Amino acid sequence: MKMKAVVATVITVALTSVVIGNAYYQKKQFYPSVVYLTNSNPSMAVMYLQAFILVLLMGKILRKIFFGQLRPAEFEHLIERSWYAITETCLAFTVFRDDFNPKFIALFTLLLFLKAFHWLAEDRVDYMERSPVIGLLFHVRILSLLTLLAQSDMYFIHHAYLFTATKGPSVQLVFGFEYSILIIMIVNILIKYVLHAIDSRWEAPWESKAAVLLYTELAINFLKVLLYVGFVAVMVRIYTLPLFAFRPMYETMRSFKKAYNDVVLSRRAIRNMNTLYPDATADELAAADNECIICREEMHSGAKKLPCNHIFHAACLRLWFQRQQTCPTCRLNVLRAPAPEQANANAPAPHANAPHANAPNANAPAPPPPTAPVPPPFPNMPPPPMMGWGMPPPPPPRPASLATLSVEELQRLEGTERRHIEARLQLLHEIQAMLNASVLLMQQYSNVVSNLPLNCSNVATQTEIHRTEPSPEPSPVRVKTDPDVVPTTSTYKPTAGPSTSTDYTFDPNDPTLDSNRDQSDADAEELRRRRLQKFKEIHSDK
Amino acid sequence: MMAGSALRRLMAEYKQLTLNPPEGIIAGPVNEENFFEWEALIAGPEGTCFEGGIFPAKLLFPPDYPLSPPKMQFVCEMFHPNIYADGRVCISILHAPGDDPTGYECSAERWSPVQSVEKILLSVVSMLAEPNDESGANVDAAKLWREDREQFNKIAKRLVRKTLGLPPAE
Ligand SMILES: [Zn+2]
Ligand SMILES: [Zn+2]
Repeated sequence: MKMKAVVATVITVALTSVVIGNAYYQKKQFYPSVVYLTNSNPSMAVMYLQAFILVLLMGKILRKIFFGQLRPAEFEHLIERSWYAITETCLAFTVFRDDFNPKFIALFTLLLFLKAFHWLAEDRVDYMERSPVIGLLFHVRILSLLTLLAQSDMYFIHHAYLFTATKGPSVQLVFGFEYSILIIMIVNILIKYVLHAIDSRWEAPWESKAAVLLYTELAINFLKVLLYVGFVAVMVRIYTLPLFAFRPMYETMRSFKKAYNDVVLSRRAIRNMNTLYPDATADELAAADNECIICREEMHSGAKKLPCNHIFHAACLRLWFQRQQTCPTCRLNVLRAPAPEQANANAPAPHANAPHANAPNANAPAPPPPTAPVPPPFPNMPPPPMMGWGMPPPPPPRPASLATLSVEELQRLEGTERRHIEARLQLLHEIQAMLNASVLLMQQYSNVVSNLPLNCSNVATQTEIHRTEPSPEPSPVRVKTDPDVVPTTSTYKPTAGPSTSTDYTFDPNDPTLDSNRDQSDADAEELRRRRLQKFKEIHSDK
Repeated sequence: MMAGSALRRLMAEYKQLTLNPPEGIIAGPVNEENFFEWEALIAGPEGTCFEGGIFPAKLLFPPDYPLSPPKMQFVCEMFHPNIYADGRVCISILHAPGDDPTGYECSAERWSPVQSVEKILLSVVSMLAEPNDESGANVDAAKLWREDREQFNKIAKRLVRKTLGLPPAE
């Protein structure tokens, strides 16, 4: 690779010298030689090639100065983004074919060149979080690079503005827009840099950093979306649809939407956590081995208990909720789970030690590996999607479950105003869950599978919650095409809302886990033992 | 929080893996300066066509690990329905719920902080043993696995010999 680059450079330099030498030999003087060169197409081709190689060399030198050695990940990322950028630049050429000239190409090359440094700076700043030691050199490099890039961005924006103001719309519109996006990127990188720098100074974990990052992301993406929409509007008015801006625009909109959702949902989940979920007691902590499954560190205080009785550091949960609003262990959707206080109030005796029963599960082996060798579970049953309808019909009428209520429970339902409303809310929650389940089943049935797994698991957990005893359901449904919702819905045993909401005992993964483990444990153990033996032999051979 | 916590957890997992290595798997950081890039050696599961092979792979961890999953890529030639031509591994444990490139994965098997390097590698071992030909990471391999198992096994055997540095003879 290196050799090739050196050879290419040497060859182009030699070629250029030959071309220039030839021109000078023929014309003997400077100006005639230049004229001769510019009029000869092959000579110009060599000159352009030389310029291109020089730009590459320049890039290499600057890269060495500001980044040192690139990590392989950074390099791959750079190549990938460059490909997109080059493709889009070619698309842009089609819109501005009238302006097509060497200067135009040079400007685009420069833009691409500067973009690459923005990307690298972004990657490098993201890397700050992961790198155990950050030296002074790193700070000097990043800060000087960011200053330099910001200045060049500002210069080109200014230039584009002046040009457009005096000479009317031209390809400079694109440059102005591109550099505006880049300057926003610089702002984003700078904010991240400051956050990471502060974070690395502090010994103690800085909990609000992730939240700040989330809001920064939202604001930056909002700005970008505005810019893109404005740009497309202007382009449509003056030229045509700027196809070359569509992919980045789409991606920006998508990340804006994601940032928005993240903010809204995570706020809700975190608010729930702060207001609804109880702190874990010392006993509960002990039952969970004092270990937080998210960070694998000890929990002393500040641990929260989710409605499913799983316990985590509040700080860890907050970070997780900023990504997903589920229990990391059992994937209960905490936004859909009923409030846990009622659970505490009415805990029925058999499940009093539910948290203890459940907590070890947090440390239990993973859910079976995705391709776990479970045979297709229904030898003599209709194909999986039919299951839900083949089995006892999904969620039955309310009266049936009301009938199963004890008098006391019924009275409780009628009782105080608050309980009454809570019960209704509970029922509504369940109805929602049932509706979701049936919709999901239909979706499954028609093989519309995008996003399905996520939802189905939520519903599964939701309905599972209300079982009063372990389901005798035998089949470990653990086949890719077969979401958990199927068996769960079929064994749905609704009971009174508030009075049983403590029964978060049955991790939906459990039956599967166990049967799966039982079935393969012995074999796997033996297999693994032998494999290691072999592995060691091979190693000692080497 | 994120930086330190991710680093601490990776260190803890590394320690755990060194003290108590699962059989047929060796994994650890490429160098101790950077705990976010690991290399792993995976022994082909016995009784399968990958038996006897030692397959090197690398794992790249995100800064917010374990909140986001790592990426895994074999660095040797592989031929498997769930492994892309460039070696990237496509199994559900490596996907965060929500991003679902294939559309069939159940979220119960997806990434969550409960998972770990060890569980990923064990999943990969069982993926080697039992390819899932519904995932289209390598369509050719999936097709061959379904329709011409003999040929598939032959290719796998050749790769096994290759990873051991043996000539493709026999
Ligand atoms: Zn924690
Ligand atoms: Zn849980």
